[in-house]
Amino acid sequence: MEGIVLALFLCLILALISKYLSVPAIPFYILAGILLGKAGLGLVTSDEISHFFSQMGLIFLLFFMGLGLKTERIVANRSAVFTSGIIDLNVNMIIGFVAAYILGFSINESVIVASAFYISSTAMAITSLVENRKLMLREAETVVWLMVFEDLILIIFLALISAGNQNLIIFLLKILGVLAVLYALALYGKEFLISILDREDELPILFTFAAVLTTASFSMYLGIPETMMVIALGVAFATTDPDAFEQHARPFKDVFLVVFFVFFGVTIDFSGGVNWYMITVICLLAIVSKLISGVITGLLMHGSALSGLEIWGNTIARGEFSIAIAVLYGSPLVGTTIAAMVVVTSIIGSFTAKYSSTIRRGILNLGRKKSPPHRVHTGR
Amino acid sequence: MSAMSLRSLNLPGVGTKYEFETDKGDTVAIFFTKTGTIQMYTLQKGCNTPSAAEMTPVEARRLGNILTGAIIEADQESVEIAFSALADLRVTIHSFLIPKAITGRTIEDLQIRAKTGATVIAVCRHDRNIINPPPSFIFETGDAALVIGETDQIKKFEREITVD
Repeated sequence: MEGIVLALFLCLILALISKYLSVPAIPFYILAGILLGKAGLGLVTSDEISHFFSQMGLIFLLFFMGLGLKTERIVANRSAVFTSGIIDLNVNMIIGFVAAYILGFSINESVIVASAFYISSTAMAITSLVENRKLMLREAETVVWLMVFEDLILIIFLALISAGNQNLIIFLLKILGVLAVLYALALYGKEFLISILDREDELPILFTFAAVLTTASFSMYLGIPETMMVIALGVAFATTDPDAFEQHARPFKDVFLVVFFVFFGVTIDFSGGVNWYMITVICLLAIVSKLISGVITGLLMHGSALSGLEIWGNTIARGEFSIAIAVLYGSPLVGTTIAAMVVVTSIIGSFTAKYSSTIRRGILNLGRKKSPPHRVHTGR
Repeated sequence: MSAMSLRSLNLPGVGTKYEFETDKGDTVAIFFTKTGTIQMYTLQKGCNTPSAAEMTPVEARRLGNILTGAIIEADQESVEIAFSALADLRVTIHSFLIPKAITGRTIEDLQIRAKTGATVIAVCRHDRNIINPPPSFIFETGDAALVIGETDQIKKFEREITVD
């Protein structure tokens, strides 16, 4: 218990510093965990309580993600969602997988590394768009839909990987059964749900907490992925009053997620040896491959490679979902690699997001000097 | 072009966006972000980089008041509302800081209604609002009064009651 208090206190200080410097806090939480945990000073070890808190963090993160997935909006914007999404998926998954495999990971491990490598941080991308006042850029919309597509892929990934060696038909039937119950609840219980959410007492927050926990533990009992089911719960509840649910789930998410990040750092173990060469290659490729997918997307969606640069600048950062994948399925070596990738890309990403317009202007000026004026692309 | 086309869009995780192009070809975009702040972007025709301002909800309302043509002075603001269904009835609501000269006096003995025709509908004192103050209400220093009436009546109030 003292461990959690110490970790949280350190995180509080780091959060203050990161807000002051307006850089993302996630890499600092992980570094704090590494410093306090097995790989560092050994002051904090993970126990049952911290494990439970971390689990809550993950579950509320995913529930929150589900609340944001409004299916009718995705359908209405499907061309925007799918064009950029499929480029992003293919380029980054392939580069991530091939790199991991060549570096010596097994096929299974390479799939895990590739998925963490592919999925950008939604939280950091959106925060950077808002804080750097980029919402009006047309690339901002593309980035937002990219994040939505990545969320969809994560759901499919969670389902596929946890199907494992179960009987597929029974597994699917169980999932469909729970989904049906959730949707029936949201559809027929809509008025009841809204009447609970409208109350001024402790009921709305208690209900939100209990609903998420019940769904998670019931899914575990049935042997289906609780991660996927809490997302489904979020999607189902989003049809009632998503803003109210977000408001009531936010305190749980915010606190438990910090525990989740810091204890991910605590459990990182360098004793098995750290392959710095491997980590450097993965980190560099993580930045380069988003540049490739960004430029292709920019060319296809906005007819400009410079647009791609803007998309790249805002999607470099890997974060919460990469860590979730590492925690759920990663071996120690995979975990260390993903931790390093998240720390490096999120710090570099915060700078590219801040200075992307400067970078763009620099490239434009360079182009003007080199090539005759009529060939210059002035398009944003 | 008669009606400007206002585009509204809900961006997942970000908030709601409103965007329109002016007759002259400039673009204005407003975002109500999930964090509760409001961002306003303006993009001049032919320009590539928009300029942006971030506002709190209070600041945004203030900007809205300016844009609808109300007068804003340091701590005093006013809103004019026109009811087209009621023979184009126009009412103005104006806030005034109470000057030293009338502190300690009541609404009744200032003869506000008789002298100006305007009505004090609320007084804000130490961040608390007193709605519909009675005639016996005594003004204190630092009070801000909300006065309702026609434009002429408000002007009269300003001239006769709030002069030091």
